[in-house]
Amino acid sequence: MMKHVLTLLSAILFGLAAPVAAQERDGPLRIEITEGVIEPLPYAVPVFVADTAAAAQHAQNITQVIAADLSGTGLFREIPDSAHIGRITNFASPVQFPDWKAINAQALIVGGVSVDGAGRLTVRFRLYDVFAGQEIGQGLQLQGTVDGWRRMAHKVADQVYARLTGEDAYFDSRVVFVAESGPKDNRQKRLAIMDYDGANLSYLTDASSIVLAPRFSPGDNQVLYTSYESGFPKIYVLDVASAGRRVLETQQGTMSFAPRFAPDGRTVVFSLTSGGNTDLYTMDIGSGRTSRLTSAPSIETAPSFSPDGSRIVFESDRSGLPQLYVMPSSGGEAQRISFGQGRYGTPVWSPRGDLIAFTKQSKGRFHIGVMRTDGSEERLLTASFLDEGPTWAPNGRVIMFTRESQGAQGQARLYSVDITGRNLRKVPLDIGASDPSWSGLQK
Amino acid sequence: MNTGQVISGVAHTGLVAFAIFGGAFQAEPLPFRVTEVTAISAEEYAALVAPEASPEAVANVDTPEPPQEGESAPEVNTEADAAPELETPEVAETPPPDPVPEVTEPEPAPEAEVSDEPPVLDPPDEEVAVLVPEQAEEAQAEDAPRVAPEPVAQPEPDVAIDEVEREEVEPDAQAEEVAPDEEATSPEEATTEIVTEADQEAAAAPTRSLRPQTRPDRPEPAAEPEETTEEPAQTETAQTEDEPDTSAAVNDALAEALGTNEGAADTAPQGPPLTAGEKDALRVSVQRCWNVGSLSTDALQTTVVVSVNMSEDARPVSSSIRMLSSSGGSNASAEQAFQAARRAILRCGASGFDLPADKYASWREIEMTFNPERMRIK
Repeated sequence: MMKHVLTLLSAILFGLAAPVAAQERDGPLRIEITEGVIEPLPYAVPVFVADTAAAAQHAQNITQVIAADLSGTGLFREIPDSAHIGRITNFASPVQFPDWKAINAQALIVGGVSVDGAGRLTVRFRLYDVFAGQEIGQGLQLQGTVDGWRRMAHKVADQVYARLTGEDAYFDSRVVFVAESGPKDNRQKRLAIMDYDGANLSYLTDASSIVLAPRFSPGDNQVLYTSYESGFPKIYVLDVASAGRRVLETQQGTMSFAPRFAPDGRTVVFSLTSGGNTDLYTMDIGSGRTSRLTSAPSIETAPSFSPDGSRIVFESDRSGLPQLYVMPSSGGEAQRISFGQGRYGTPVWSPRGDLIAFTKQSKGRFHIGVMRTDGSEERLLTASFLDEGPTWAPNGRVIMFTRESQGAQGQARLYSVDITGRNLRKVPLDIGASDPSWSGLQK
Repeated sequence: MNTGQVISGVAHTGLVAFAIFGGAFQAEPLPFRVTEVTAISAEEYAALVAPEASPEAVANVDTPEPPQEGESAPEVNTEADAAPELETPEVAETPPPDPVPEVTEPEPAPEAEVSDEPPVLDPPDEEVAVLVPEQAEEAQAEDAPRVAPEPVAQPEPDVAIDEVEREEVEPDAQAEEVAPDEEATSPEEATTEIVTEADQEAAAAPTRSLRPQTRPDRPEPAAEPEETTEEPAQTETAQTEDEPDTSAAVNDALAEALGTNEGAADTAPQGPPLTAGEKDALRVSVQRCWNVGSLSTDALQTTVVVSVNMSEDARPVSSSIRMLSSSGGSNASAEQAFQAARRAILRCGASGFDLPADKYASWREIEMTFNPERMRIK
């Protein structure tokens, strides 16, 4: 009996094991890749083909802007024209991939530019995965006025960036900031606006009074800022298109500053100092009705809404040192989120909602950093004599901030850095600049 | 009597005598204080303590005698005293009057020379800011460099760094056209380490060390190609003996199961299975081309499993690369991760992977899992 049981058991075990062994023998070879490299992706963007002689210069300029946008991210590396083996002479001709494989171009951007009799500019492009030998996405055509050639170049670069990285784009965006001139003890400040890359600079106010902290509205058609025009800091709303402005009136004898729009575009959150105490308030722009969010004897300032408008992150010294707190947007109990050594300030919620950028002062140096919205995973991205005032790119992947150099002749400049801490770059701008606010992607 | 006992007896006797007469048992007298006293009689004591008698009062007191009337009074001098001589002060001469000053109309003050132009001042010396010396930051442990595991296979030959990846061209005596000699080149490899500016400013001391990496998986059990080829034959034989009519159906089922690769399987070299070193070499050669630098943060959260068929010259068949599964991200991020994986396979496999040709059956189809967990932003 026992023998039979053992025989039966052996048979069952053998029967189970045999198919497994066979499967292992017949199955594919399996390997796991866990280590890769982090390097810019090499790409080629031969000069776009000009359909007409009038379009030649535009084709050249547009190609340069596209290359500058992509290479400026630090994620891509342009293979220069001089290394190209293949030549693109016709936008519609099939691509000879071996020519581009030979120079290790992993992505190829081919485009054409034409200008019609009415002065309308047309830009077409296609993006290829060279090693796969196929197109990424579909070809796209953009039309606009000749004057808008830069925006069209940014749009093409946005498409390429989004298709290659999977991230939202940010090249076709603008930045409002405080333009600074003169020595530190007599510095003149006025509002200015530019493309994200420093081009198309124009001024929104004169230098007759000090202006601070401009902030775009969600639709990017208005700017909130603080001005000392009346002697006391007051908040103004400026229409970007017409440069017309009006003051947001608060009660007499108070100072209001650090304004920022709510995501709905109708509410403004700001700091108001009354009787020596500074607290956070909201104001309905339409009705001018204010409501108080905090009532602590400490200083509460630098509020910033979460993208869904449900919460506000702000700076408070209620614990003795300036730290970051999060509370419901209607007020209520605040939760402290910063616990590192040093002082934290100017928090800004990422447009993605996943991170909060901030300024940190520690051990005599200033840092721009990011942390999760619960305060975890704090990472410092920069370190210098004075870094402050971060603002997010529309895609939440890049941060622009002010860096001021040391000494009486020190100048404030704008810099950008990827949230990985890589690709720290100075914004190409010839004038002093501070306190940037990045717009959303232009429509 | 024993001499020892005598000596002992004498010594003990002497000792007892010394103890008794030598004062060993005489205790020293306790210290005490001596006070002298004197015995006196009761009369003497009473005399000592009796109060002294008060002195007797004197009744007769001597009174002074009054003066006698006959004595003369002292003379009084009534003459006035001579007035003392006074010196008359000399009258000083009146000084001549001061000359009257000449009064003249003051001349009008010259007008100040004022110009609207501000004086040109020398530029002030450059302000020297007193800088507080930066405090040295506390020594912190620095990240240990992340080093990719080296392949176990034989090392690659040195190549020159260049943008363009080229294979070395050697003269071939048998070729009709002699290609010019070219040195092999390869693009410079990038680091996998993420160093932020904040990190760069840190002290030179290491800040922290990475967790030891997990032990690599054990190689999968070796397949036995011989059995694989023999099994169908045995089955066929058995079926031929027992049920010859069903052999064709079994063959059809096998053909269907093996699909289009059946022919390749039949003709593929079998040989022993891949060694762990050969598999590691393949893994390293793929990960060298797996560039996650341009991936989105979401795609860096996504693990994809990719299948690829290989040709016998160890090159990937481009059209066969497909994503089997993904985890940890959206469809869009999985697609991005798959594209990066495909680029890695195609780029590094363009000139053929270093795989043993005699084991083609083992690597004819490969499933690669691309797990970016270690490549995420830390």
